[in-house]
Amino acid sequence: MGALSLRQGLHLAAILGLLGAAAFPLYWMFVTSLTPSAELFADRARLLPTLSEAAAYREVFRTIPVATWLINSAIVATGTTVLSIALAILPAYALSRFRFRGKGVFGFALFATQMLPEAMLVVPLYGIFAQISLLDSLTGLILANTAFTVPVITWILKGAIDGIPIEVEEAARIDGCSRIDIVLAVVVPLVAPTLAAASVIAFFHGWNEYVFAQTLVSSEALRTASVGLAGFVGELSTPVHSVMAVSVIYTLPAVIFYLFVQRYVVSGMTAGSVKG
Amino acid sequence: MADERLHGSAWTPYLFMAPAAAYLLFFQGYPLIEELYLSFTSTSLLSPRDHTWVGLDNYRDLLATSDFHHVLWITALYTAACVVLSIGLGLLAALLLDESFPGRAIARTLVTIPWAAPPVAVALVYIWMYNAQYGIFSRTLRALGIASGTENWLDDPSLALPAILLTTVWQIFPFASVVILAALQGVSKEQREAAVIDGADRLSVFAAVVWPTIRPTVALLALFITIWSLRRFDLIWLMTQGGPIGATNTLVIELYRQAFVYRDLGRAAAVGMIGLGTALATTLVYFRYTQRAERARGND
Amino acid sequence: MAAIELVHITKSFGPKTVIQDISLDVQDGEFLVLLGPSGCGKSTLLRMLAGLETVSGGEIRLGGRRIDQLPPSDRDMAFVFQSYALYPHMTVRRNITFPLIMRRFRWWFHIPLLGGLGKRRIEKLPEVSDRVDRTAKILGLTDMLDSHPRTLSGGQRQRVALGRAMVREPEVFLMDEPLSNLDAKLRTTMRAEITKLHREVGGTFVYVTHDQVEAMTMGTRIALMRDGVVQQYGTPREFYQNPTNTYVARFIGTPPMNLIHATAGNGALQVGQTRLAAPTHLAAVTAGSDRPVLLGLRPNAIEPVGQGGAEILAGRITLVEHVGADTILGVRLDGAVTAHDDEGAPSSDVMVTVPGYSLLALGDTVGLRTTLDDAVLFSPETGQRL
Repeated sequence: MGALSLRQGLHLAAILGLLGAAAFPLYWMFVTSLTPSAELFADRARLLPTLSEAAAYREVFRTIPVATWLINSAIVATGTTVLSIALAILPAYALSRFRFRGKGVFGFALFATQMLPEAMLVVPLYGIFAQISLLDSLTGLILANTAFTVPVITWILKGAIDGIPIEVEEAARIDGCSRIDIVLAVVVPLVAPTLAAASVIAFFHGWNEYVFAQTLVSSEALRTASVGLAGFVGELSTPVHSVMAVSVIYTLPAVIFYLFVQRYVVSGMTAGSVKG
Repeated sequence: MADERLHGSAWTPYLFMAPAAAYLLFFQGYPLIEELYLSFTSTSLLSPRDHTWVGLDNYRDLLATSDFHHVLWITALYTAACVVLSIGLGLLAALLLDESFPGRAIARTLVTIPWAAPPVAVALVYIWMYNAQYGIFSRTLRALGIASGTENWLDDPSLALPAILLTTVWQIFPFASVVILAALQGVSKEQREAAVIDGADRLSVFAAVVWPTIRPTVALLALFITIWSLRRFDLIWLMTQGGPIGATNTLVIELYRQAFVYRDLGRAAAVGMIGLGTALATTLVYFRYTQRAERARGND
Repeated sequence: MAAIELVHITKSFGPKTVIQDISLDVQDGEFLVLLGPSGCGKSTLLRMLAGLETVSGGEIRLGGRRIDQLPPSDRDMAFVFQSYALYPHMTVRRNITFPLIMRRFRWWFHIPLLGGLGKRRIEKLPEVSDRVDRTAKILGLTDMLDSHPRTLSGGQRQRVALGRAMVREPEVFLMDEPLSNLDAKLRTTMRAEITKLHREVGGTFVYVTHDQVEAMTMGTRIALMRDGVVQQYGTPREFYQNPTNTYVARFIGTPPMNLIHATAGNGALQVGQTRLAAPTHLAAVTAGSDRPVLLGLRPNAIEPVGQGGAEILAGRITLVEHVGADTILGVRLDGAVTAHDDEGAPSSDVMVTVPGYSLLALGDTVGLRTTLDDAVLFSPETGQRL
């Protein structure tokens, strides 16, 4: 190991600072969840977690319906993922391979939907859902969320399909496959990494989503974790460390899931969507 | 093109687009049209079926109120600051992560974790961190001898927006750094070396070689961040609800307030339309700018 | 202008040593060609000269001054990249002016708008713009000064890259396979232009290529490298007439020198059934008892004749290629093998160049008369010249 130059040392210090800033709030979330109330409000803050307080988590599960919330969030996230991908594959293929009237318009419309805030559509959607009895159902949430993820996923998948040589499809055609067969059996497997990236994006959207989950669903049994957690804002009876514990329980699956698939997300998104 | 070589029918493209198109039209298109309609009416949340047509009154009233001007101002400020800070930090992070050092792969992954955290959870931990007496920020300042106010940062009109910005930028800059890092890979090593041999210092190499190459990507990134900022709801609503005294009241927050606090759905819809118009205008400006930049740099 | 000295240069990337121990002296005004196959280390050596790679061991001196610790911009050397590495977002004029601006750089040039004005002012200075215009004129770029690189052809971009190097009036020009990206016809034209440039400008050129034709036509001296070791360093003529080993012999020349297994002894060379009297310059080497050698004969030192006769080799024609003014014949020798296969497997085909259009056809049996005046002998084990 040679000696580090001053420049290298500064560089490493900057990197560590960067990582520290990125990790700190989540770390703090974890530390706070394990700090007993007395210490939280003491004069000196506790900087390192006491693992002996892990029992606090068990307490949280006992007093707060976290498990229910997580299951609901998981259902919504999974449903959104499956439905989004199912809906996005064909348009992605069409936009990539076909030339047809209205293609530019549709492409732009897809992009334009990115500008719609959920808060704006929630009121009309409430009315529509009320009429078709989709209120207060996880299915309704899935349907609402999917509308917001389909455009992005279509865009990313289109980018990936662009990268597949047409010869592969021609070979399948010569073998007698119909177009749909070609899409499902040939093209889809070839864009698997991008599908993984798309799943992550859709899953996260469903897991993180707040506005619809808050407005379109009212019964406690169907509450998602985002809404449950948000309920603690301004509420004074639940101890801070319990709130943080719920936060950790809600954040951990997302972060772990992300760490597993992140290499696909990065390549999938930067290859397809952000071209210079 | 593809379809000619594969001999499909002329209807195939439309068949492929139909399910998704229908879906989006129903779940986004139709609500959007309804919002447009609502914006021309006076409707209360309590009786959402009763619409009274008022034409452009909602818009006129909004644009006349100084409160709404303040909303526009806050939105502009928030958006501009988000773009500049996220891209600035993202660029810095990308440059730092571009050089090789031990553990680079891990560092690149770790720096993106804020992006993976759910906004609701982020909001909650930051609320706690911004607490005046027990939050870690105040404690640190006190330990350093700098007096901090007695209010929670989020309740202080002059600190609330910076606090929200800090939280937002913390979440977005990893995405910016990933995108810029990818763009940096496209910078030609030989061009860099040529500049070094020509006597350029590091900053000049950046200006002459690196920046021109990544500029289109950064522009696109700026567009995305702008549009997201105009949409951002969860973080701001949970942390400040647009307060204190409208210090963090962006267009989306105002929309929500009009609908659910003031119960004026017509007014809310008008706010929404104005927000949408702003986003569309920004996109058009962006495309006009990139077209012109492409042409200026010489035709291909 | 000064001379370059490479003193015991070594270069390693981690555990892998790519340059073993190279010492070369380059005279002032030389056109030195670093020649070799991919991976031999020639580009690495060039980049070390430029300062783009660090030197693991040894010294580099320019005009007596040690420069291997200096940053690239302080070495007074210009570099022309294989891909030209032009700045795509600047005009041709700005590309060429760039090094001159950097030389006159002030700290406030970094400020976005102000800096731009400062740089433009430098561009307009008479001594700067005159030099740029002169350089552009020499290279025929005057009409393109306000265009962007992406509108130019490959050859034009090449010249802009040359212009950017020339405008600095450096002591040394370094070129890394600058012609590799051009098509064959353009390459021939540019070869002549670069040689002309060297004559006019008079600096020391160090030129890297894998093409032995470029080396032989452009260089005043060639250093042939293989796996980080210099095989031979000398003039093109020395390379052609006195290759130091079989690798050099087979690298230079189209077709390259033939290497025929033979036995040398008692003042003669035995090739298969044929006994050839040793020429005077090889008398010493062929004296003494018989031992195996490799006989190096250029394709034009062999001519096809009628069969039979003393000192005539016998063979059968396996290849006929009519290349313009000459014909290249491949002849399979009876009873003798050549050492032409790079993998060491014995082959039997000797290449013969015949002026004019030969009427010989595939399968014909011929006799071959050899002229041994320029023959060279090599050791079959070491490949070194005897």
